[in-house]
Amino acid sequence: MNKRSRNTIWKGLLLLSPLIALFLCLTVGSTILSPGELLATVFSSDRQALNTTIVWQIRFPRALLAALVGASLSLSGVTFQGVLRNPLADPYLLGVSGGAALGAVIGISLGLQSPLLIAVFAFLGAIAALLSVYLIAQAHQCSTHTLILSGVMIGSLAAAILLFLLWRAPADATRQAIFWLAGNLALANPDWLVWGALWFVIGFILIWVFAAQLDLLTQGEESAADLGLNVARSRLILFILAGALTAGAVAMAGLVGFVGLVVPHICRLLWGPSHRILIPFAAFFGASFLMLADALSRSIYAPAEIPVGVITALLGAPFFLYLLQRRGGL
Amino acid sequence: MIEVRELNFGYNGDSLLRTLNFTVRKGEILTILGPNGCGKSTLLKLLRGQLKTTGGSVKWEGKDIAGFSALEKARRVAVVTQFTRVDFPYKVRDFVAMGRYSQRKHLFDFNGTGQRQAVDQALAMTDLLPLAERPVTVLSGGELQRAALARALAQETPVLFLDEATSHLDINHRLELSDLLLRQNRERQTTIIQVSHDFDLSAAMSDRILLFNEQGEIAALGTPAEVMTGPILSKVFRAEIKVEQNLLTGTPHIVPCFNTTAFRFDGLRIHLLCGGGSGRTILRRLHLGGADLSCGPVNRGDSDQLTATTLNLPTIDEQPFQPLSTAKLRQTGQLLESVRVLIVATQWWGPGNLACLELAARALDNGQLVYLLKQDPRHDFAEGQAWAAIERLVKQGAQQFDDEELLLEQLTTLDV
Repeated sequence: MNKRSRNTIWKGLLLLSPLIALFLCLTVGSTILSPGELLATVFSSDRQALNTTIVWQIRFPRALLAALVGASLSLSGVTFQGVLRNPLADPYLLGVSGGAALGAVIGISLGLQSPLLIAVFAFLGAIAALLSVYLIAQAHQCSTHTLILSGVMIGSLAAAILLFLLWRAPADATRQAIFWLAGNLALANPDWLVWGALWFVIGFILIWVFAAQLDLLTQGEESAADLGLNVARSRLILFILAGALTAGAVAMAGLVGFVGLVVPHICRLLWGPSHRILIPFAAFFGASFLMLADALSRSIYAPAEIPVGVITALLGAPFFLYLLQRRGGL
Repeated sequence: MIEVRELNFGYNGDSLLRTLNFTVRKGEILTILGPNGCGKSTLLKLLRGQLKTTGGSVKWEGKDIAGFSALEKARRVAVVTQFTRVDFPYKVRDFVAMGRYSQRKHLFDFNGTGQRQAVDQALAMTDLLPLAERPVTVLSGGELQRAALARALAQETPVLFLDEATSHLDINHRLELSDLLLRQNRERQTTIIQVSHDFDLSAAMSDRILLFNEQGEIAALGTPAEVMTGPILSKVFRAEIKVEQNLLTGTPHIVPCFNTTAFRFDGLRIHLLCGGGSGRTILRRLHLGGADLSCGPVNRGDSDQLTATTLNLPTIDEQPFQPLSTAKLRQTGQLLESVRVLIVATQWWGPGNLACLELAARALDNGQLVYLLKQDPRHDFAEGQAWAAIERLVKQGAQQFDDEELLLEQLTTLDV
C-alpha cells in the first residue's frame, strides 16, 4: 500500500469520525443503548420515555458541547502554531490556561457553587492573562519570542498563586478544583450551548477569513512584511481571536489538554499546511476527537467519569508518537 | 525612481551608513558591492522601508517611503533574500501563490483565473512547473531560491530587490537565475537592485555599481568599468586585487592574487621594524616559514603589536602615541645584535619613529643585512629627514624591495 492510498484511508476515517463519535456519545455511558434502541429513540414520538430523556436531554447536548470545545481548542492551536511559527505552540502556551485556572480556583475558593459563575471567573482569568502577555510583548512589536516567554512566565506566576490558594483551601474545594483543572465536560450547563456555539462560529469565520494572513505569518516576519502583510496588526488580531476561542473553551470545560497540540499536527500531516484547507479540517477533527474522548471517559468506569483531559492525553500522545515515528518529522 | 537624500542610519547610536545621496533610475540594474558588514543589506531594508532612517529621506516617485503601508510597498517591490526559511511544508505552488497576496482584489480572491495565471507564469519562468506539487521543505537550496524568486516574480512589481539571493548557489544555478533576471529587466523594464559578492557576475550584468567602503560611505558609483578598477577595489577591500578585461564581454574581470609559493627560512634570525599594520602579513608569513623572528618597537594596541604578541614573538613595545623612548631604543639595539637580517617594513615616518632608521644604519655598520620594504618619499612626515636617512641607508648597502614576494624570495637564498 503506497503512501498516497494510506493517506486517503486516514482522510476517509477522519471525515467519518464525527458520525462515529456522535454515535458513541449517544449510546455509551451508564446506560448502554444498542444501535436499534438508539434508532428507536431518535425516531420515537414519546417525549416522556427514559431513553428519550437520556439521549436528547443529556447525551446530545453534552456531545455538542464536546464538539464545540474540541473544535475551539484545535482551531486556536492551529492559529497559535502559525502565528508563533512554533510546532510546540498550543492554546495554553500564552498563559491562558494559567489565567483561567487561577480565575476558576479563585471562584471556587470564594465558595461559589454556581458553575456559571466559575465559568465566568475562568473566562475573566484567561482574558486577564492574555491581556498582560500582550501588554508586555507589545513593547517589542509582539515578537514571537517575547510572546512565548512572557506567556510562559505569566503562566508560571498564575500557577504559583493557584498552588498557594489550593494549599489554603478546604479539602472539598481542592477536589472540585482538581476536577476542573483536569478538564471536565460535566460542569457545563446545556443552556450555555447556544452562547458557546455563537462564540465558536464567530471565531471560526474570522480566523478562516485570515487564512491567507496566517500563511504569510508562517514565512517569518520579514518575508511576510515584504509580501505585503501588516505583521503586527495581523498577529494581534489572530492572537485575540485564538485567545478568545481558548478562553471560551476553558470556561465551558476546564483545562482539556492535548487537543490543541495534537489535532492541528495530524491535520497538517494529512491536508498540508495551507490554512484555507487546514482550518476547517482542524475544527472538524478537533470536534470529533473530543467527542470520542468524552464517550470513552464516561464508559470506561461507568457510571463514574474519568476526567476527559486524561483520556485526550492517553489517546493523543501515542497516536502522535506513532505518526512521528512513521514520518520522522512534522 | 528611487531617490536617496542625505540618508543616515545606525543601530543604537552607532553610525552604520553615512550621508548617502544617490538616485536609482527606472529600468536599471544596480549592484551594491562592499566589504562585509558595511551595511549593504541594511541599505536594502532602508530603501524598502523595513527600517526607519535616522536622518534623510528615501523617496519613491517623489513620495516618502515612510508613508507607504505594507501593502503599497509590496505592490512596488518584491524581495529575495539569501536564505529562505521554510518551517512549514507548503507545496511549491502554494508557496509561490503567497506572492499574490498584495495583488488580491478582495478577501476571498484566492484562486481567480488572474491569480492562477500569474502563479503559473512565475513557476514556468523559473522552471518550477515540474516541482509545483512538491513540498518546499524537500527542495534543494537552488530549487528553494528559485521558488523564492518565483514568489517575488508572482508579485508582479516594477522593482526587484535581491539580497545575495544567488550567492550560495552552484555556478549553473547562479548563471541561470542571473539570465532570468536579465530577461526580466530587458523585457519588462523591471528595475533590479541587488547586493552581491560576485564581482564578475555583477560587472557583466549591472548597468551601475554602487561601491561601499568599510565606513558605510559611498566609495564609488558608476558603470562597472568606472568602479571596478584595481586601485579602487584594492583600497576598499584592503587586499591586492587586479582587474583585467573579460575577453568575451569586455566587462571588468577580477583576478585573485593568491600566493601559492611556499617560502622556508628555517632558523634565520630576522628582526622586523613595523607599525600600523604594515607588518601583519609579513610577520605571519615569516613565522609560518619558520624564521627566528623578533619585532619592535611597536606601539601597544597597534595591530602589528597584537599580531606579534599573539604569535609569541620577542617584541619591544612602547606606550601608544608616544615617541620612542631611549630605553626602548636601547633594548631594540640589544635585540638587533644577534640578528642576521633587519627588515624595515614601517611605512610612515615622523619625528616619533625616526630613530629607528639610525638603528638600521648601525646594523649596516655591524655587517648585518638591511632590507627596506615599500618605502615611499611621500610617506615622510619628518620634513625630508626620513627619506634622506633612507637614501643614506641605500648608499650604505641596504636593499630596497617594492614587493613582499621578492623580499621573501631573497630571504630564502640566505643561509642560516
